[in-house]
Amino acid sequence: MDLFTTIQLAKGVQLHVRPTTQFKTVNFSIKWRTALTDEAAAARTVLTNVLQHSNAKFQTTAAFRSYLDDLYGTVLYFDTAKRGNEHTVLLNVETVNDQYLNNANVLQEVLATLHTAVFEPNVDETGAFKAEIVHREREMVVQRIQSIFDDKTRYAQQKLTQLMRPNHPASISANGSLHAVKAVTVEDVMQAYKTMLQNDRIDMYVVGDVEPEAIAQRLQKAFPFEDREPTALAAIPANTTTFDYVREQQEMKQGKLHIGYSTPVRFGDPDFAAMQIFNGIFGGYPHAKLFMNVREKESLAYYASSSYSGHYGLVFVLAGIEAANEEKAYTLIQQQLQAMQQGDLTDLELAQTKAMLTNQLKEALDSARGQIEIYDQYKDLAETFSIDTWAARWDAITLADVQRMAQQVTLEKVYFLSGKEQ
Amino acid sequence: MEKITFDQLDETLYYEKMDNGLDVYILPKKGFSKTFVTFTTKYGSIDRTFVPLGEQEMITVPDGIAHFLEHKMFEKEDGDVFQKFSELGASANAFTSFTRTAYLFSATNHVYDSTKTLLDFVQQPYFTDETVNKEKGIIGQEITMYDDQPDWRQYFGTIENMYHNHPVKIDIAGTIETIDGITAEHLYTCYNTFYHPSNMLVFAIGAVDPEEMMTFIRNDQASKEFPAPTPLNRHFDEEPTAVAVKERTLYMDVQKPKAMVGLKAKQVDLQGADMLKHELAMNIGFELLFGRTSPFYTRVYEADLIDESFGQDFSLEQGFGFGLIGSDTFEPERLIAEIQQELAAAEQTLPFTAEDVERMKRKKIGFYLRAMNSIEFIANSFTRYKFNDMNLFDAVPTLEQLTFADIQHALTSIQGKDQQTIFTVLPMQQEEQSA
Repeated sequence: MDLFTTIQLAKGVQLHVRPTTQFKTVNFSIKWRTALTDEAAAARTVLTNVLQHSNAKFQTTAAFRSYLDDLYGTVLYFDTAKRGNEHTVLLNVETVNDQYLNNANVLQEVLATLHTAVFEPNVDETGAFKAEIVHREREMVVQRIQSIFDDKTRYAQQKLTQLMRPNHPASISANGSLHAVKAVTVEDVMQAYKTMLQNDRIDMYVVGDVEPEAIAQRLQKAFPFEDREPTALAAIPANTTTFDYVREQQEMKQGKLHIGYSTPVRFGDPDFAAMQIFNGIFGGYPHAKLFMNVREKESLAYYASSSYSGHYGLVFVLAGIEAANEEKAYTLIQQQLQAMQQGDLTDLELAQTKAMLTNQLKEALDSARGQIEIYDQYKDLAETFSIDTWAARWDAITLADVQRMAQQVTLEKVYFLSGKEQ
Repeated sequence: MEKITFDQLDETLYYEKMDNGLDVYILPKKGFSKTFVTFTTKYGSIDRTFVPLGEQEMITVPDGIAHFLEHKMFEKEDGDVFQKFSELGASANAFTSFTRTAYLFSATNHVYDSTKTLLDFVQQPYFTDETVNKEKGIIGQEITMYDDQPDWRQYFGTIENMYHNHPVKIDIAGTIETIDGITAEHLYTCYNTFYHPSNMLVFAIGAVDPEEMMTFIRNDQASKEFPAPTPLNRHFDEEPTAVAVKERTLYMDVQKPKAMVGLKAKQVDLQGADMLKHELAMNIGFELLFGRTSPFYTRVYEADLIDESFGQDFSLEQGFGFGLIGSDTFEPERLIAEIQQELAAAEQTLPFTAEDVERMKRKKIGFYLRAMNSIEFIANSFTRYKFNDMNLFDAVPTLEQLTFADIQHALTSIQGKDQQTIFTVLPMQQEEQSA
């Protein structure tokens, strides 16, 4: 059975409902999607801050938040995200199911608030966003982007991605770049708002103790979205860069070794499942080669792991090490990949990774958010999503498949961030 | 096996004390496919001076040992326990706090095998000097990682400012120097003293059959031998009410200065229902003073003194407690002055009404109801509450009873200029300028 019941509210606007009594809350998620560009990401991020700040009905943050607190602490926030070459503005709302409350009409109030938050913005008499709010919220986004510098792991990862895929969806941030955010004007924000409401592809999700037809009617009233013809997204460029080893020094203690690899295998490809297993054995879990060798055997790191970004065909390795051990750690990490390329793999590693992947997927479905995010990611594939389908797919992978995946993984960039020599 | 129902929350909890003293709680959750099991000892970084099991004299062990012990529990003669959990498709983890060390796993399959693995690895210590020494490099990198995190440094710096003697001021992981002195013998001493079943609690939640799981744990515990439980003897030096250090600055490689005000609590000896009431009242009062709906927040936000990193939080355990208010800010001195001014004004008149209290109560009730969806939250919080003789499921009824006067009374615990401390993190360029 399908996880969600899908109802088309308008052309390009889909509602996905999952009626369940598993949770004590009702969750809503609305996703507006458009092509990912730095400018769009920047304008839309400032927009989400502005919409989150206030609206026509609640003109200050304190008034808006007080009202939500009064609705038994209803959680409501806007955010931005990206996936592949698509940018998403999302509105997430979670409210306690009326059943658990004494004076229960919270759901009705929340639906009205959703309408207010999206369709009744805090604008001046000319219909423009208020400059004071836009400028302050733009500054908040600027500060958010700059704060990455204070988090050395995130900073190093951002640098590596920019080195590997400059001006490419892989390195465009969902918040936009500092440069693009600083350039956002009050008009840009209004333009982004109008485009988002009129042209974006929209997916709305509801998970909770609700009746699909009834909630569809109520949402259609709260969100009178019109038909739209979303443009198809361009394919993600498959360019690669040549090998480079980049070192940077800052005032810090630990050495951050970040290594970037590329693979031709992408999300949706027949080999995607095999590539997930490759990553699990390489560095995805505590039984993986990186954890067992870099951490447990050689005591070089507290964390040493890999991740696979299927939409961009990238594999990243991250390790926090003593700067003096740079060469030793780098060699050891490369040796783990070479071992896999030469078929140094065991049935145990394969079985462990399959068990972990299946377990992880099942566990993720134990939260409403998890159900929404997983369904949202897999729904565009030409098949009905089910745990069993994926478990069977992973189960069919052999050691030879994993070795074949390892052989397609190419080293592209190394970025090492460490302290200045004393 | 005892069965406790919470009608308002629609939850049923099962409880049994095992013959060896171990407390076991089981909470089945309908519709969940995973099972989450935690095995926690009431032993954390603050438990550093104590009389070891079977001895007479008080000893003090090296800083960071509870956390070190947590790491070493995973290594056995036949290898790494993570390997076993992976084979079963279970995700395992552990953490050490000021007051607790918890071991846990979640799984959607082979739940009894994983439960057995959890019970066995925590109850069968294996430490050698060789494996202990090997771990020093790993934990050394963990410590170094935290050393580079300005928010962590500020958090601990503020706590360090507040306390003269209490070991809460010592970093949970210790330092590279203190962990260097740790031996296998130290680990056995701490293990034998604090990992007795009578000092521990198992919480199983999610897809679990209570009868079957209780029987499984009961049989497992009956098959293992433990010495008779003896009362634990921990020692804490007298702690003055006033903070130890009024103000400190740390220079780091940051973009923007960080300011934090710490408020040391007077009321730190409560347990049980009194503690629950006090803690909830304090959380409400603190949020009404400094949270997003407060007049203070609006004022400093509009004066551009804070950004999205702003936070306020109150923590309480037996023996220590503190409130923290902080943000990244280009004007740390002005922000600190605003916070201090707000505190001084609140000592005269609170900037909120009984109506505001009712609203915040509803917000907190909503929080606890939402949290009932998270089996991780329930297991971890329940254990913390229980170790302080409180019951997580009493939070909502206790909240419902709170009055304005309760909030007013609770806040007196952090009122007093002597209880305030300041910690700032400034960009390194400013150090060069001031030098």
